[in-house]
Amino acid sequence: MSFARPRLLVGLQPYIRVISRPPSLHASFQARRLLSSSTSYRAQPSPHHHSAAVTNAKDIDPYKDGPSALDKAVHIFFFTEIIRGMWVVLENFFRPPYTIMYPFEKGPLSPRFRGEHALRRYPSGEERCIACKLCEAICPAQAITIESEAREDGSRKTTKYDIDMTKCIYCGFCQEACPVDAIVETQNQEFSTETREELLYNKEKLLANGDKYEAEIAANLHSEHVYR
Amino acid sequence: MVSLLRTIRSMRRVGLREWWRQMQYIGDAKSGRYVGADQFGNRYYENLNPEEEVPGRHRWVDYSQHYYNATQVPPEWHSWLQHIRKDPPAEDPIVQQVTPSWKAPWIENLTGTRGAYKPYNTVVPKIQAWEPKVTSRGA
Repeated sequence: MSFARPRLLVGLQPYIRVISRPPSLHASFQARRLLSSSTSYRAQPSPHHHSAAVTNAKDIDPYKDGPSALDKAVHIFFFTEIIRGMWVVLENFFRPPYTIMYPFEKGPLSPRFRGEHALRRYPSGEERCIACKLCEAICPAQAITIESEAREDGSRKTTKYDIDMTKCIYCGFCQEACPVDAIVETQNQEFSTETREELLYNKEKLLANGDKYEAEIAANLHSEHVYR
Repeated sequence: MVSLLRTIRSMRRVGLREWWRQMQYIGDAKSGRYVGADQFGNRYYENLNPEEEVPGRHRWVDYSQHYYNATQVPPEWHSWLQHIRKDPPAEDPIVQQVTPSWKAPWIENLTGTRGAYKPYNTVVPKIQAWEPKVTSRGA
């Protein structure tokens, strides 16, 4: 536990040192840093701590480098901590806000983000799903139900592909299990509904999602193809 | 409260009319480069200067509809707005390349309206209700 309490002006010292550096920094940036006692709103490199080697454990005086008792008493009786805290509040009052104004601005998402499901088609328009039921088998929440039939041309296709989005835990195992990249999770997270039934997706809904999202899905898969 | 200097600077750049519109919708005065508009007339802006916009707030959309909704952004612009893709869809060669000819038109989330999705069965139900049939007694 350290009692080292900086003096009121001690917070300025690193910034005063900044001035003596080569004038590569922006002038307005310096001016703001001089006024500010709190950390910047952008990430700054942390100062390099120089730890002194302990030579003789017996002679350590823990108060040697800290302020005197009088200094500490002054800070206690003049509420300097409260004043410094209020100064931090005041200067943040004049800074641009951090708040992301959803839905006008949105936070960053990964191309691997797992949101609403979609069934994809081949570029020819033929649906990809071959009804192998691997996604149904791997689904930990057992949210997928598949029934299949052979079509007239002999290819096996699903007749029923239901995903219960209320059961789904969005783990992404279905898209990992899929051998033909048919079932994917799109980056859409804005599919909230008013009623519960609307979240019981059937094959037509999933295919319609795929038709709407194909450009985004394919672009994301292209950006991830190096890692797959 | 926003930074006063930032507000005045944005106001001078975009003009009073646009500033009033921004205050009614976004609730903050913003200024930046116009990137493009989608097929619904939503306009997209970007300001990459970290001194003017906090990183993370540097891309935004101005919805064309008064009753705006996050799902009014079509998927290609959605991936730009959410920082998934660097370039807007019109300038992104990969998005242009992978867009299929059969791409369906974008429909916003219609929940709560009559256009909302209603689930239905896509196969013949396995259980049929019993329908009593009267056979004649063969008189």
